[in-house]
Amino acid sequence: MSQPVMLPQGWEARWDAQSSSYIYIDQATGQSQWEVPINPSFPTSHPSASPPPNPASPPAQAAPSRHGRRQYPTAQIQQMYGSSYEAQPQVGQPQQLAAPGYPDQGGAQQPQFFTPGFGGPDAAAAQQPAYGAQQAPYGGAAQPPAYGQQPAYGQQPVDQMSNQFQQLNVGQKGGAAYGADQKQLHSIQTVNLIGMQPDVSALDAPPPPYLLPPNAAVTSSPHIQPDPSYQRCTLTSMPTTQSLLNKSKLPLALVMAPYRSWRESDGDEPVPVVEDAVIARCRRCRAYINPFVTFIEGGNRWKCCMCGLSNEVPQLFDWDQRAGKPADRWARKELNHSVVEYIAPTEYMVRPPQPPVYAFVIDVSQPAIQSGMVAVAARTILESLDNIPNADKRTKVAIIAVSTSLHFFSLPAGATEASMLVVPDLSDVFLPKPVDLLVNLTESRSAIESLLGRLSDMFQDSHVVGNALGSGLQAAHQLIGKIGGKIICLTASLPTLGEGALKARDDPKLLGTSKESSLLNAGSSFYKTFAIECSKQQIAVDMFLFSAAYTDVATLSCLPRYTAGQTYLYPGFNASRSEDAIKFATEFGKVLAMPMGLEAVIRVRATRGIRMSAFHGNFFIRSTDLLALPVVPTDQNYIIELQLEDDIKGSFVVLQTAVLHTSCYGERRIRVITQALPTTDSIAELYASADQVSIAAYLTNKGVERSMSHSLDDARNHITNRLGEMLTVYKNQVTSAAGASAQLAVPDNLKLLPLLCCGLVKHVGLREGSSIPPDLRSYAQCLLTTLPCQSLVPYIHPRFYSLHNMPADAGNIGEHGITLPPALNLTSERLERHGLFLIEDGQNIFLWVGHEAVPRLIQDVFDLPSYGELTGGKFTLPVLDNPFSQRVNNIVAKTRELRRGVYRPHLYVVKSDAEPALRSWALSLLIEDRMDHMSSYAQYLTTVKNKVNGSS
Amino acid sequence: MGGEGWLFLFAVLMAAVLLFTMVFFIIMFSDLECDYINPIDLCNKLNQFVLPEMIAHAFLTLCFLLSGQWLAFLLNAPLVGYNVNKIMAKNHMYDATEIFRTLSGHKKESFIKLGFYLVSFFYYLYRMILALISESD
Repeated sequence: MSQPVMLPQGWEARWDAQSSSYIYIDQATGQSQWEVPINPSFPTSHPSASPPPNPASPPAQAAPSRHGRRQYPTAQIQQMYGSSYEAQPQVGQPQQLAAPGYPDQGGAQQPQFFTPGFGGPDAAAAQQPAYGAQQAPYGGAAQPPAYGQQPAYGQQPVDQMSNQFQQLNVGQKGGAAYGADQKQLHSIQTVNLIGMQPDVSALDAPPPPYLLPPNAAVTSSPHIQPDPSYQRCTLTSMPTTQSLLNKSKLPLALVMAPYRSWRESDGDEPVPVVEDAVIARCRRCRAYINPFVTFIEGGNRWKCCMCGLSNEVPQLFDWDQRAGKPADRWARKELNHSVVEYIAPTEYMVRPPQPPVYAFVIDVSQPAIQSGMVAVAARTILESLDNIPNADKRTKVAIIAVSTSLHFFSLPAGATEASMLVVPDLSDVFLPKPVDLLVNLTESRSAIESLLGRLSDMFQDSHVVGNALGSGLQAAHQLIGKIGGKIICLTASLPTLGEGALKARDDPKLLGTSKESSLLNAGSSFYKTFAIECSKQQIAVDMFLFSAAYTDVATLSCLPRYTAGQTYLYPGFNASRSEDAIKFATEFGKVLAMPMGLEAVIRVRATRGIRMSAFHGNFFIRSTDLLALPVVPTDQNYIIELQLEDDIKGSFVVLQTAVLHTSCYGERRIRVITQALPTTDSIAELYASADQVSIAAYLTNKGVERSMSHSLDDARNHITNRLGEMLTVYKNQVTSAAGASAQLAVPDNLKLLPLLCCGLVKHVGLREGSSIPPDLRSYAQCLLTTLPCQSLVPYIHPRFYSLHNMPADAGNIGEHGITLPPALNLTSERLERHGLFLIEDGQNIFLWVGHEAVPRLIQDVFDLPSYGELTGGKFTLPVLDNPFSQRVNNIVAKTRELRRGVYRPHLYVVKSDAEPALRSWALSLLIEDRMDHMSSYAQYLTTVKNKVNGSS
Repeated sequence: MGGEGWLFLFAVLMAAVLLFTMVFFIIMFSDLECDYINPIDLCNKLNQFVLPEMIAHAFLTLCFLLSGQWLAFLLNAPLVGYNVNKIMAKNHMYDATEIFRTLSGHKKESFIKLGFYLVSFFYYLYRMILALISESD
């Protein structure tokens, strides 16, 4: 139903009872029309709508209710702009302006609506008394605004405010003093860690709440802050100055996974999409409109919450284009949701949306064929052909096989057979044919299917050893360079030929020494330079590595790191073991089916004064604050460090991440994540608002970075020292305890940070020791820097369940799916000789069987007569017809799909008295224990405590 | 004009060239900070000048050594050592993937070199004039 809006001068709206709608008449020409005239030449503040004849008719009812909804924090507007827009002489009496109500004028109000672009400042001033009378409904997100706290608004960046107003502000400041008396504060609780068992169930707890001042947001939607899985900050309140931050020693960084996947089964909702292409952005700082802006001048303009500039609200902002009628502004998704996606118009495109392109570079040398990798990969691609994003039938595919020469496949459209073209020249890579090498998946489907069906057999008899991977990558780059897309590279041996040949440089003598970090750095510059080339051409590279021997993960992972891809390692892959084949096929299938964002850039904007100082993650930094990702993978984590250049004056700050990308369905989209953080000038409040998981993620990245630039030893010390510094400041500044203490005081919200740090320094990526192969270390470091928090926390601090004595409801389907048993502390004290335990870190699951396990238990779970018959290693759990087996199977299945991401953990059976290597691997996950010469959790706490005591 | 005069005239010119190279480097770094140039182009452009700059400086130092200008040689020797050390560690080239992380360090280095070349420019000038005066005496 359309209703009278503010009409251009010379137009009149008349209620037509026959059609039950308004008719619009141009009084000058006598012309009439049903559509609302929307292009005014002369804005007017007085709508000439005549009220409908029947007061009980729908429009009359609708009008007041809409009117009520279209409120905005008028008190705020008046406070900030009223004085400057009112006639100048009145400035001297601001109290009159701010006086609540204008009750005498409240009755005189007439239904006034605003339409974008209508009504200048005069109109706004005229409207304000009317709105002031009933500003309650939208006055505040949580509570109606009390006038006493108005000065708090004055603290926002108010650069272009008139001088008079600033004076007025100063005058009132004393009374309200930052609005601090109204401000909610985090309660700070100090706990002692020495001698306490850490409460591991609290690892999943959400970060401390964001205690925003009331009225910070224009709507009261519960979704104005992002879910922590999208974006979280190490501190949920922002320090006002850099010196305060330096003094507190707390890290300030954003931890985000903006393109995370969602599953309906988790109760997730898809990201709301703004479909009408009305994108309101600040003219100066280019921030997107969000729930934290303020509407001014009767809603015709909005004030940017980051730079304070007043911007015009776009004409169509309150217009429902689909229904062709005015829409409710307060229902707009970008004002109600922190995470929204816009469909971008052509101004946001460099070129028309490109199709998704996949180029497979497959190693077909003898080790690859022998391990069965080629066969499994080909079968998985074949089975996934329907799952590859191909909604508009534009997806293109190319397949290149690499051994000592390059094998291209010509896959003409409509043909049923593929023909192979061999290029032996590796130094100067050229394409043997201009067409049919990169083909449309739908058109050449039969040729692709026939090729994949016999790919492994084609090379079955070749006994060539040697892998010209670099040349193969260059060929793929030439092939898809014009469009961009994804190169998926599968290799089972070290590249030894052509460009980018690598040497087996894993000298065991280096392990455990300070020179070990050289093995974690790239050994050849080819992969870095090539990565830059790829990034320029919008190509991402995913690496799947299978070798049983050294493959130089450190060097090869450079390619995914700078092109926003991902590295996957399957050490000792052998397809004849069904567990290996299933794991790889599942993960590879998920990677292929993953929706991808192409040609993406990420930019973070923040309130003036905040600067992004460093970026960590898989991408290429194209300019000081622009991250280039040829393809945005789902569920990858990025960390952005923040610095304060200027003091922050407002009561809250806003951080906004925008991911501009082309979806794989041919649409240019912008995903915007807005987060508001309250500011504080007290160290205690900073500590009370610190988020332990984000800090752990930040320290992980810093540690890995340091292990490459300095040494592993340095990385571990760095993590422990940072923890010690934080706790020192906390002890001295917040608890104000003096001198040495037998306790380790930690704020309640950081009580698991020492445990996570302990897990981190004992993690395979950073652990001390001379027996960890450099490939495994490098791969673990790749995971540490890319896993989103949900998977990172268990990767650092594994989950440990006791299965033989689990509660009755564990393993059965409960309210939230399958119930998991309670998590145990990671110490071998919990292991019992007759028990069955499960340890999992998201990448591997270990089933620990005690050597005195009763035959009944073994029979029930493994279908074997006794413990002696059981062999350790990779295992597929049989599903047996007894409740205990089903419960164990349920728990394993639930563990495998507990987290977002493509990983499918292997299940290992570990016998408590056999296979020492496997046994010590499983035990190394029990991080609270002492292991070799690495300290136990209790010892680690003592080390930290001594640091804290020593420096105080 | 004798040998010493010629040597220092050459040194003055070289110092001026090196000075301009450093100014160019600094301008390019600030361009990168202001987003006028992308890191790939920047690195391609600057990497062309890294080795020539080092070689020119090393050549000048060698000239001082061969002509027995001990003070001038000792003045330049530390920088040659620093450059050689960088080349040995293979981190003398600018890396586009790391440039933003290391930008402040690069800028500081360029400014220090700029100051050094400026001081040595005036020193060479002074020595040149000194040589000319002593000759004309």
